[in-house]
Amino acid sequence: MMRKFFILLGLVSLLSACEDVVEVNLEEAQPRLIVDAILSWEKGTDGANQSIKLSRTRGFFEQEPNPVSGASIAVNNSSGKEFIFEEVTSGEYATDNFEPELNELYSLTIELDGSVYTAEENLKPVVAIDSIEQNDEGGFSGEDIELKAFYKDPEGVENYYLFKFFTPFLAFPDFSVFDDEFNDGNRIFGLFSEEDLEPGMEIGIQIHGISREYYNFLEILLAQAGSAGGPFETQPATVRGNIKNENDSEELIFGYFGLSEVDEVIYTIQ
Amino acid sequence: MIKTSAIKFLFILFFLINVQVGTAQGYDLSGTVLDDTNQPIPGVNIIIDGSNRGTVTNENGKYSIKLAKGNYTIKVTYLGFKTVEQQITFNNDKTLNFNLVPQTEDLQEVVVTDNIEGINIRDPEMSVSKLDASSIKKIPVVFGEVDVIQSLLQLPGVSNAGEGASGFNVRGGATDQNLILIDDALIYNSSHLFGFFSIFNPDAVKNLKLYKGGIPANYGGRVSSVLDIKQKTGNTQKLKGEGGIGVISSKLTLEGPIQKDKSSFLVSGRGTYAHLFLKLTDNSNSAYFYDLNTKLNFNIDEKNTLSFSGYYGLDYVNINDSFTNIYGNAFGILDWEHKFNENINSNLNFSYSQYNYELDLALVGFNFQNSISNFDLSYQINHTINPNLDLSYGLSSIQYTINPGEIVPTTADSGINPRKLNNKYAFDNAAFLSVNQSLSDKINIQYGLRVSAFLRMEDESIDIYANNNPLLYDENRSIYVEATPTETIGGNTSRVNESFINLEPRAGISYLIDDNTSIKASYNRMVQNLHLLSNTSSPTPFDVWTPSGTYIKPQKLDQFAFGYFKDFENIPFTLETEVFYKTIDNRIDYIDGANLIANEAIERVILNGEGRAYGLEFYFKKNTGRLTGWLSYTLSRSEQRTPGRTPNEIGINNGDWYLNGYDKTHDVSLTSSYELNEKWQINSNFVLQTGRPVNFPVGQFEFQDLNIPVFEGRNLNRLPTFHRLDLSATYTPEKKNKSWSSSWNFGIYNVYNRRNAASLNFEQNTTTGQNEAVRFSIFGIVPSVSYSFKF
Repeated sequence: MMRKFFILLGLVSLLSACEDVVEVNLEEAQPRLIVDAILSWEKGTDGANQSIKLSRTRGFFEQEPNPVSGASIAVNNSSGKEFIFEEVTSGEYATDNFEPELNELYSLTIELDGSVYTAEENLKPVVAIDSIEQNDEGGFSGEDIELKAFYKDPEGVENYYLFKFFTPFLAFPDFSVFDDEFNDGNRIFGLFSEEDLEPGMEIGIQIHGISREYYNFLEILLAQAGSAGGPFETQPATVRGNIKNENDSEELIFGYFGLSEVDEVIYTIQ
Repeated sequence: MIKTSAIKFLFILFFLINVQVGTAQGYDLSGTVLDDTNQPIPGVNIIIDGSNRGTVTNENGKYSIKLAKGNYTIKVTYLGFKTVEQQITFNNDKTLNFNLVPQTEDLQEVVVTDNIEGINIRDPEMSVSKLDASSIKKIPVVFGEVDVIQSLLQLPGVSNAGEGASGFNVRGGATDQNLILIDDALIYNSSHLFGFFSIFNPDAVKNLKLYKGGIPANYGGRVSSVLDIKQKTGNTQKLKGEGGIGVISSKLTLEGPIQKDKSSFLVSGRGTYAHLFLKLTDNSNSAYFYDLNTKLNFNIDEKNTLSFSGYYGLDYVNINDSFTNIYGNAFGILDWEHKFNENINSNLNFSYSQYNYELDLALVGFNFQNSISNFDLSYQINHTINPNLDLSYGLSSIQYTINPGEIVPTTADSGINPRKLNNKYAFDNAAFLSVNQSLSDKINIQYGLRVSAFLRMEDESIDIYANNNPLLYDENRSIYVEATPTETIGGNTSRVNESFINLEPRAGISYLIDDNTSIKASYNRMVQNLHLLSNTSSPTPFDVWTPSGTYIKPQKLDQFAFGYFKDFENIPFTLETEVFYKTIDNRIDYIDGANLIANEAIERVILNGEGRAYGLEFYFKKNTGRLTGWLSYTLSRSEQRTPGRTPNEIGINNGDWYLNGYDKTHDVSLTSSYELNEKWQINSNFVLQTGRPVNFPVGQFEFQDLNIPVFEGRNLNRLPTFHRLDLSATYTPEKKNKSWSSSWNFGIYNVYNRRNAASLNFEQNTTTGQNEAVRFSIFGIVPSVSYSFKF
């Protein structure tokens, strides 16, 4: 936010502030395992199809992915029912018989190269997006299209939300996370604004119910993207997830095992 | 352990006061130096011609020197005043008073006031930088907007976290560790526009003194430095004014007698053009700031002076009517100065200061406010026991009220619930004694003790935690987790919750090697009970102060400094070199992802750490002639660490030392001013600094369609070296009439248009999805012109 403000301030102040892409030589740390195990159950579907990705970290500018093959992955529910994830493409493991149940406790087990990796989480429910509001004079400039996706927070319980906005022009979805500390029980919204939004575009809007731990994880994770710079930014951190190596508690594993109910709305910009 | 060393210290203190100063030979020559309005002038040079000896007047304008019998010429010099010479025949103790008259009508045409004759070579005071308004005005700055903090940054030992960063860092200390006083009133935030400018209107400032170390016992409350700014006192003779029109702001100052010879006023205002910057684009954004300063002074009689100083400043940023950000400082201080007799005078002052921050987010439909305010009552006596012994002692009491946040929904359909965080109340009481003593012709000492008693009152509600531990550690995941209170009990805001009593010894010594050379050493302990909650490299306007309490302990600093001071005899140069080492206990640090805004339970996101800094400073200065200026160089290191509370815990950054975000290994400033002729003056400023510590990713991980940079360790990398040259020229046309003078200032900031990186961001390009490093630089070359006038 602060940098956006600076750019806005700087750009117009005699056009002297600027941003440019530069080359930086970076060191590369040893590769570490990444477990991308977020199971999403979209309202109105059976949620049987789920996938988990395994890969390793790579150099920051390295474009070739670094998938991890040959693992055996299983998710269990609290009554011991097991769902096996089979490797479908290199590093991607999938199942078509998952049985999602709200608030159920699930556990993840990954066996890889003689190590066993585990994690546990509850499947978090979420309320539906009840309406979308469009404002054509929004954003910092007052000229951008701005979307508000409204939902009603359930009263008296702690809720955490992840919003994702999918656009045709952004290479990856826009993520934002919210808690209900200041709006418990109220009707409130997720917000998205971009200068490139135009009438006719289809925007995918998702609300995910997430756990407090996953919320904390995402908050730190999202702070890393575009981090490491300005005087008004917080210190970068190691993003520690909930996966641990049963054989070696010191091993740092990136990623998270989480389960969310999801509501999705496809909105066409007016 | 602390107690016994304090008692020892007290013993030594009283022993020293009672030392008979009978060793030196000769008689005492002493007296007082007053200005044309009979105000004592501190810092006047008393030079004994032909003997290469001299002294300076103290805070009360008094001086004293031991001389052998003989005939002397006494030369009394002070910048901006006419030098007085008097011949005396000296054969016993003698009192000689002087009255100095201003050199010109214009007190501003004065250069840097310290060390001009190298006389303070003798004074045990060290680690102090003094600037007066005119030297501040000479330094070229961005947009030609003369700025107090920008000029401080050119001095050794002072830096900040980069262009556009707020505040300043002294000897590796944090921004919130600077005690900032204007006419003795507390200032909580020195920045305008997030730090591009500072709140000090240079036209209202008379001079400033920055204590980086060896801080006397009459100051306390912050551990790193004291910035003591004095506002100008209005002219008691006739109405005068000055002002200016610049690229960013315009300003106007008026001063004059209320009752001639007796009382005076000064009012000064500075304002940026409404809708600064932003209005240039065709939208409804606006941003501006302004300052109002005032000073009233009443010389009631020879013994009593009453004065009032006030300030009100505001920053306003509005973006598209959906985001409004307003903040500012205000203070008022009433000061009564009373002279009991020639040797004893006193100051009683009472002040109120506040800082308010307000955010209005119409977009979401709420208003957020936080504030801090204090009442401060203090009484100080300056007491000259004999020509070789000056005391200053007194009491002070500050009452703080902190509103950490209040959220109010602004529309009927706002999704935000109203919420008021508990106010926090505290008292900071102190008693102090500071002694300045001349032990011999060669040795001068300064020492003192401050006793501070900080009382934190109970909050209206108090959270109780299991095992008294608000921050849990999850060993499985190696992360800290906020605890849930076991119960919340009611508190009474007039009952003391925690009290912290601390002894803060201060000491300094100077030893004269020869008349132009001395070495000095100092030690000070300082305690800080107000902490700014900020987990960014540079504080933001919405950061909240919090007092020491159950979970936050007072920060404690110990600093040692050693210096070598030289006044070159035949050339007009002075050299000051110092080394310093300091440690700070109880510096709070924040767990990853800590949210500090509107957080009722800060104790759940903080850990106690420590800091240390050390360095070498070098200050080479030319004070007289057509070319004046200085070269300053600082070699330093500033770091902190926060280990886990038990060996199992990871702490912050694995408990390892890491560099502070404002650390700069090398910091060079070359500032000069050259008088080409009567009309033109050329000023330049060159800075060269090690790039700020930052973090470069050592890899990336893909998670949910996002590329996330991997960071290991903290602040292990640096931005590219920062350097910049600024030039300015001042043109003063010939005076057309007696009462009006004016000048033009033409400036070029960043002459060779270097793209100094303010930050490097490692991010995923939103269009291509590929990772890239983006350099953000704030100022390219910036020309400016401004016009100033006086009447």
